[in-house]
Amino acid sequence: MIEAMGLTKKYGEKTAVDGISFTVRPGVVTGFLGPNGAGKSTTMRMIVGLDRPTAGTVTVNGRPYAQHRAPLGEVGVLLDAKGVHPGRTAREHLVAQATTHGIRSRRVDHVIEITGLASVAHKRAGTFSLGMGQRLGIANALLGDPHTLILDEPVNGLDPEGVVWVRTLLRALAAEGRTVLLSSHLMSEMALTADQLIVLGRGQVIADAPLKEIVARAQTTTVRVRTPAVAALTALLRRPGTEVTSVEADELDVTGLSAQDIADAAASAGIALYGLTPVQQSLEDAYMQLTAEAVEYRSFAPLPTAGGSR
Amino acid sequence: MTTFAPADLTGLPRVIVRPATFRRLVAAEWVKLRSLRSTWWMLAVGTLFLPLFAVSRTASIAQVPEAVGSSSMVGAVYVTSGVALAQLVFCTLGVLTVTAEYGSGQIRATLVAAPTRLPVLGAKVLMTVGTVVAASMVGVALAWAGSARWFEATGMSIDLTRAEDLRILLGVPLYLAAATALACGIGAVVRHSAAGIAAVLGLLLVVENGLGAIPWTPLQTFAAHLPSSAGTRLLQSDAVGSVITTSSTTMLSPWEGFAVMLGWVLVALGVAAVLLRRKDA
Repeated sequence: MIEAMGLTKKYGEKTAVDGISFTVRPGVVTGFLGPNGAGKSTTMRMIVGLDRPTAGTVTVNGRPYAQHRAPLGEVGVLLDAKGVHPGRTAREHLVAQATTHGIRSRRVDHVIEITGLASVAHKRAGTFSLGMGQRLGIANALLGDPHTLILDEPVNGLDPEGVVWVRTLLRALAAEGRTVLLSSHLMSEMALTADQLIVLGRGQVIADAPLKEIVARAQTTTVRVRTPAVAALTALLRRPGTEVTSVEADELDVTGLSAQDIADAAASAGIALYGLTPVQQSLEDAYMQLTAEAVEYRSFAPLPTAGGSR
Repeated sequence: MTTFAPADLTGLPRVIVRPATFRRLVAAEWVKLRSLRSTWWMLAVGTLFLPLFAVSRTASIAQVPEAVGSSSMVGAVYVTSGVALAQLVFCTLGVLTVTAEYGSGQIRATLVAAPTRLPVLGAKVLMTVGTVVAASMVGVALAWAGSARWFEATGMSIDLTRAEDLRILLGVPLYLAAATALACGIGAVVRHSAAGIAAVLGLLLVVENGLGAIPWTPLQTFAAHLPSSAGTRLLQSDAVGSVITTSSTTMLSPWEGFAVMLGWVLVALGVAAVLLRRKDA
């Protein structure tokens, strides 16, 4: 469980994180989503005490991170793949981290094995590719078998197999009742991994809801209509709350009406329809929509209910 | 090609995690120190400077018959004359043990494991200084053993029952320990390898010698109280003047000099501690 209250970070005049409050619950995978500079990494760094908040508080499992006597057993963190001295081997890096908490070398070998680092465990970390460094970072986060995992862009640089592995692992950890917070700029990845989304924009929370709800709420019903009578149909459907845009000579995109409404209206007006296809909105669309409005929705304003008349 | 193992979390033994005590942090710093090749190179070079200088200086004096029997031929001073160079290597080690963590991002992993921060600085300084003490004691022993065969020819001797000989020989690990701790502190303040090494070596080589060479008494007195000039009083014989520094205007006794040096060390580590607590990592 991670709880942030009015968390703020200012670097001089610039506000990176602007009084955000959120709760990351155990048992689900929570995704931290936002454009570059939205404050995701800064927030993660504040959670584990690397950056001191300008204002506000954040606790992990009930207390500030620095107050845990064995923090690696509480929280596993992956902040960036480069957080390793390049001259040290992967295993030595993990042994040093493990030693601070009296974690046995058997556990070190185990995390090396499950992250697929066994063949390079005795190579210096400076020779690692981005993907290898990422595996080492994940191994490091798992070392203390923590209740809470905080992973900044964990799939960054991983091969497809590694991406699937991380997804499976995080889902398994959450299913065990652990708290999992991950950030990603890969929205497709987030759609497959996260249950709950916290969307950040300009240092503020612009959405904090289940993934499905965010997609649904941001979803506008767009239907692609193919008809020979483009002009007549446009005139028929154009009313408040509905948007009709022409795509091609015989195609229209209609937003704000269901396929059924359009078909009924066309039938009663005697207009022939050759095609009627609802256009599915993805998380990506929802996300673009949310973050585009980041300027407008400065605080906890409710999400826009899309569409209008339905 | 490496592959991830299936994310099978069931049936694993419960992982034992213990509090990150100071003792464990010191042990972890030892793992970090010993696992870098550069550590061993620096320790070897720094240590070998001691016998190298001791042997070359005693051997060359043995070639000068008129010097034999002079009262300034203090064996302990000649045996420990490699300190001037050894300190440069050990200070570099001291700076790097701290700054390399900042340069590589390792510091974030380190501080995540020890979020109260100050014990990390303590553990790091203790481990680095302890290693330098051990290395310099080996260096002094090698220097003594290596140069002993020319003692007779030069009329020199070392007798540990003589207070001054004992003080000078013990002064080597003590002085190098303080210099290394100072370097760790400066490294923790500047957080940058090149800047840290430049600051420490600049202080030891340029500032202290430069100020001491300016013939203006207040400046010379001040220069005599700078860390290296004050601390090396421990390595000087009453029979001869300074071996390491150009300043001989100091009124400090050997142990007063060393106390002044320790004062500088405390200041540097104090500033480092405050910055470590306050600044973002």
